[in-house]
Amino acid sequence: MATESPSSVRKVVVHLRATGGAPILKQSKFKIPGTDKFAKVIDFLRRQLHSDSLFVYVNSAFSPNPDESVNDLYSNFGFDGKLVVNYAFSMAWG
Amino acid sequence: MANEAVKFVWEGAIPLQIHLHKSEVASHPAPPPALVLAPRIGYLPLLVPLIKPYFKDSLPPGEDSIWFDYKGFPLKWYIPTGVLFDLLCAEPERPWNLTIHFRGYPSNILIPCEGEDSVKWNFVNSLKEAAYIINGNCKNVMNMSQSDQEDLWTSVMNGDLDAYTRLSPKLKMGTIEDEFSRKLSLSSSPQPRQGGAEVDVAGQVKTARIPVRLYVRSVNKNFENLEDVPEIDTWDEISYLNRPVEFLREEGKCFSLRDAIESLLPEYIGDRAQTSGEEGTVDASEETDGSPETGEIKLVRIQGIEMKLEIPFSWVVNNLMNPEFYLHISVLVKAPQR
Repeated sequence: MATESPSSVRKVVVHLRATGGAPILKQSKFKIPGTDKFAKVIDFLRRQLHSDSLFVYVNSAFSPNPDESVNDLYSNFGFDGKLVVNYAFSMAWG
Repeated sequence: MANEAVKFVWEGAIPLQIHLHKSEVASHPAPPPALVLAPRIGYLPLLVPLIKPYFKDSLPPGEDSIWFDYKGFPLKWYIPTGVLFDLLCAEPERPWNLTIHFRGYPSNILIPCEGEDSVKWNFVNSLKEAAYIINGNCKNVMNMSQSDQEDLWTSVMNGDLDAYTRLSPKLKMGTIEDEFSRKLSLSSSPQPRQGGAEVDVAGQVKTARIPVRLYVRSVNKNFENLEDVPEIDTWDEISYLNRPVEFLREEGKCFSLRDAIESLLPEYIGDRAQTSGEEGTVDASEETDGSPETGEIKLVRIQGIEMKLEIPFSWVVNNLMNPEFYLHISVLVKAPQR
């Protein structure tokens, strides 16, 4: 929410996992402000992998809407202090 | 068998009057607006096959990338049409005047849309998210056969409640029993109406997680009537929250919509109840006596209904949720004054 001051923004640890033959990234973990949208995670992966046709999932299960906040995804679907994000060049979970 | 309220939700529709944007009119005279009835549980891109024939002879050359705006405000296509209407038309406007664009997609504001495929993709993934929240996994959605998944989507697209009611039990989503009917059935007979897993022992507290998409529109200006609510300028004025409600069932206490909203937005109701020192119905017509530093909930709208907050939350969930098992709640708040 807009009422939070920047210093109090919680950071979320994202773990990246390659699926279906996609290359494994050197940096498989990163921290992102929870107030960012999931679109930031997708953008990051697209830039790292130089690919626009990328499928990005949470918990090997579903592909969240890019407008969802990382905070909400973390509190709904995160565990062990992290949010697991899978990526693939083709549709991995239909 | 679906009950009456669910039928009303599925049959709910908004009359749209759709104009072709001035910059895209390549014919003389300009085409008249198109009138279509948009299902509340549907999505704007699904209307394109109905609308395009009206305008196709007026369009300048080029490739289509279709989007809609309301008074210049680009509309997010993945939000159900009824929710957009509830959220953006504080005072309902009928017909709802929207503008269609076939060119110049604002990709800095809207996520890309490839027509029906994108809408279906968004629907299925929302359904999986809901399953994850309700059941802790989405195996039942993933294990659904391709043809059943296709039929389920078609039922939503066509507003075919009978087909949906036939297919959706295959998703085995955990359900919550209506507290209201439970009380009725308990008082009239010792046997619970439905029996099975939902029977609970007296005094036991049960919890369930309800998937909720919450759209909180914050208005800085003071206003008395809904027609005085200023027009919206950017999506930044709306917080889009995906937060489940932890549904608490305690014997002798009804978990109300107020309890649910309080758990979702403690910064508004909680403080307000404290400072105003009363249970307080949150009503649009009520005097603006909310404490200036906490902000105030002016309106809670679900499926076009201005909700009374005393209503049992179980009834709201069972009757007013959308077919992807998400309850979409539009909230209008007056921002705290500083």
